[in-house]
Amino acid sequence: MSVLGFALVQFSDLIETMASSKKVITKEEWEKKLNDVKIRKEDMNKLVMNFLVTEGYVEAAEKFRVESGTEPDIDLATITDRMAVKKAVQSGNVEDAIEKVNDLNPEILDTNPELFFHLQQQRMIELIRNGRLEEALEFAQEELAPRGEENQSFLEELEKTVALLAFEDVSNCPVGDLLDMSQRLKTASEVNAAILTSQSHEKDPKLPSLLKMLIWAQNQLDEKAVYPRINDLASAKLEDPVV
Amino acid sequence: MPASAMSSRPEELTERLGAASVETGGEALLKVLREVKNQIIGNKTKKVLYLHLGAVPRIVAVLTSALDADGGSTATNLIVQSAAALGSFSCGVDDGVRAVLDAGGVPHLIRLLSSPEEKVVDAGARSLRMIFQSKLAPKYDFLQENNLKFLLLLLNSKNENVTDLAASIIKHSCVSREEQKVLCDAGVLQRLVCLLEGSLCQRDSSLDSIAAVVKNNSETVSQLVGIKNGIALNLIVELMKDRCPRTRLLSCVCLILIGQASCYVQEHEIKTKLILILTELLEEHGQVGDEAPFALVTLITDNEDLQKQAHSVNVVEKLCNFLRQGHINRKRLQGILLALSELCSRWEKSRNQFMSSMVLNIVSDALKHECVDVRVAACTSISSISRSVKNLFAGHLTDESIVLPLVQLLHDSSSRVQAAALKAMCNVVVDFKDKKTIFIQSGCVKQLVQLSKSMDSALKINAVWALRNLTFHADRAGREHILSELTEAQLAGLICDSEPRVQEQALALVRNLVDGCSETIESIFRENAVILDAVTRQVQHAASPEVCIQGMFALGNVAAGNDFHKEAVMTSLLPPRKEELNPFLLKLLRSSDSLLRTAAVWCVVNLTYPDCPNSSARVSRLRDAGIISQLKAMVNDICLDVKFRARTALGQCTIAEQNAA
Repeated sequence: MSVLGFALVQFSDLIETMASSKKVITKEEWEKKLNDVKIRKEDMNKLVMNFLVTEGYVEAAEKFRVESGTEPDIDLATITDRMAVKKAVQSGNVEDAIEKVNDLNPEILDTNPELFFHLQQQRMIELIRNGRLEEALEFAQEELAPRGEENQSFLEELEKTVALLAFEDVSNCPVGDLLDMSQRLKTASEVNAAILTSQSHEKDPKLPSLLKMLIWAQNQLDEKAVYPRINDLASAKLEDPVV
Repeated sequence: MPASAMSSRPEELTERLGAASVETGGEALLKVLREVKNQIIGNKTKKVLYLHLGAVPRIVAVLTSALDADGGSTATNLIVQSAAALGSFSCGVDDGVRAVLDAGGVPHLIRLLSSPEEKVVDAGARSLRMIFQSKLAPKYDFLQENNLKFLLLLLNSKNENVTDLAASIIKHSCVSREEQKVLCDAGVLQRLVCLLEGSLCQRDSSLDSIAAVVKNNSETVSQLVGIKNGIALNLIVELMKDRCPRTRLLSCVCLILIGQASCYVQEHEIKTKLILILTELLEEHGQVGDEAPFALVTLITDNEDLQKQAHSVNVVEKLCNFLRQGHINRKRLQGILLALSELCSRWEKSRNQFMSSMVLNIVSDALKHECVDVRVAACTSISSISRSVKNLFAGHLTDESIVLPLVQLLHDSSSRVQAAALKAMCNVVVDFKDKKTIFIQSGCVKQLVQLSKSMDSALKINAVWALRNLTFHADRAGREHILSELTEAQLAGLICDSEPRVQEQALALVRNLVDGCSETIESIFRENAVILDAVTRQVQHAASPEVCIQGMFALGNVAAGNDFHKEAVMTSLLPPRKEELNPFLLKLLRSSDSLLRTAAVWCVVNLTYPDCPNSSARVSRLRDAGIISQLKAMVNDICLDVKFRARTALGQCTIAEQNAA
């Protein structure tokens, strides 16, 4: 985080000097100031590596490791396993995903009742999607109901899921959103986060937080000065100051 | 076996676990093991089912034979799968831990730690950690040199699962000062402090273990603080702000323990921060949010300054808001109620805040909760709230919704609940407003009398205490009712109980019984004046001033009655047969306890009240016994109360003697 720390110090210097009225900073002055900020190459590489690892781009991470010499803070092989779990959930093979997570680390589902419930819930959703309604009902009684008894907060979700069974045209019913792809993605990202946590890895990449801080800092600065803003994060283009 | 015949029924799977041998049926066993493992992970119901079917000993047997086999990938996989299954059985189910321990699983799992294959080590370490997270796990004896060496080996391992295991072992087994010292001397703290800078999981388990090593031990705290110029304390303080809620909680707990055992972490600022962070953590799901209120309780217990501080940062309000959200699990509900009890135990402003937060109905529901701990916590909150005279005056706590469940809890099957309910009753029955009718009507007297016969001394004391407070300012019918349930004989028995604290409460009960009501004074003369005799005996012989004080006040109240009553007290205090040089009343008047002197002088004041026919005779008896000259010596007593009463008594004596002349 040293990179960001340094950048923020620069901003706060600016904020202090421009307390009274809005100061105008030209693009040249701005670029000159930015040039004075030193950022270490290794830090940049680490941020990129952190992004690739957290998001699960295993091949890219491997290539990047070789080309940049940046060591990831995690065994890259574990990314492959994690991605396999994620993919299994995304394609509806929840049982397969559960087995894979258990092979990876049996503690994950044993110590995350909420995640376990969501996976089981997803499993039931898939059964309903495939029209295996009797199985789904049996599954709800055998697997999901006991979890609802253990934890009150699951009951509501359980009821909502079981409600799917009551409608003939599930795609048009009030709880139909459970059948959306977005539900699978939600469950998949929950599993992904839990695996990362179990591997002592932060569940979110650092790059987005840095960009959030940049936007926040710019908003603060807007009150004090007119300066070349970055409006488009993707191009990071410095806009001309609008007076 | 054809695939279609493969059944996943627990009975059959358990059967097949015992049927195949590792050498010939390795692959089939592996399949069964995996299936069982995948069924039980996250699923308590299935765990219990398999436990009943006896799956654990079979899995331990598979593990043992796989370890003894000549290696090979099937054997390795069997080891990994069986270890994972045993670990899962030990996770969250006490019977599971017991089964693994009974089947002798632990020594075999320890063998896994020395395997050259990382996945085997991982599986073993994870399983053992699950076991050591349970209270049922055997205590690891650090005092044995070999054990200590092995632990250090684990703690210094490069494998994170193994260092985590070592940390759990420390957390589980390090209790005594001797153990803390041995670990400290072996350099465990240095290593744990290094781990504070390790991975996310390592930081958490290190914080947990540090807490165990420094708890209540100023020596180990100083060692911790001494490491690399205090880096440890800085690291832990930094971790209070960590992104991970669990880490924040654990670092708070660590700092609280350090603060309680030493002169470190005493700054007002950091304590306020601890209060705020712990309150914020309540919003977290799961274990962290459940444990946060308990840490808060540890922090503020018996610390009035912190309780005030907590009030000033709106903790009472926030806790009440959580209560009102509903859907709180039992652990968290218990924690929040206990935290509120602490906050309201001394500080009236917190009680006001509590009362205005409209959560009393939630507490009254909690009195009826199915979980014992919640019921106890709810009673404790009622005790704290009812320490407020203002609340009692306002009659907020004599609502049926509080009183009836409290009375019900006097019959609870758990004695802890009974004790807590009694404590709450003691305060609540003081009730200034409705003259106790609700209590008398609720039928609680019978049960209180029952509990006053309890073998459990805490129950007994509190039951008598509650009866004492119930008698306080009760109307005549109420007092008669209490005495008729209690009976004269039993009350006399309680006055002479072997436990001085019971005697004290029983005497105070008598004091309230005869207070300001000459009809009820009569009651202590019934049954051959058994109560009066008991009171007299205690006042004469009791060693504890508290007992004498209550006895003297009781006699003083009797002496406030008619001439007959006064004569009876005179006879008690100055028996006519004995011409003692030093009557015990003199001893009481000379006591070093100012309250006892006050009680004794009050009694004399009531005996010498000049408008009574026999007052002058009593005064001359008092003079003969040397009481009047003793009173003269007390007109400048350092205690104002004694000083004024002594002057009143002397003044009355003069008038009585003048009247006689």
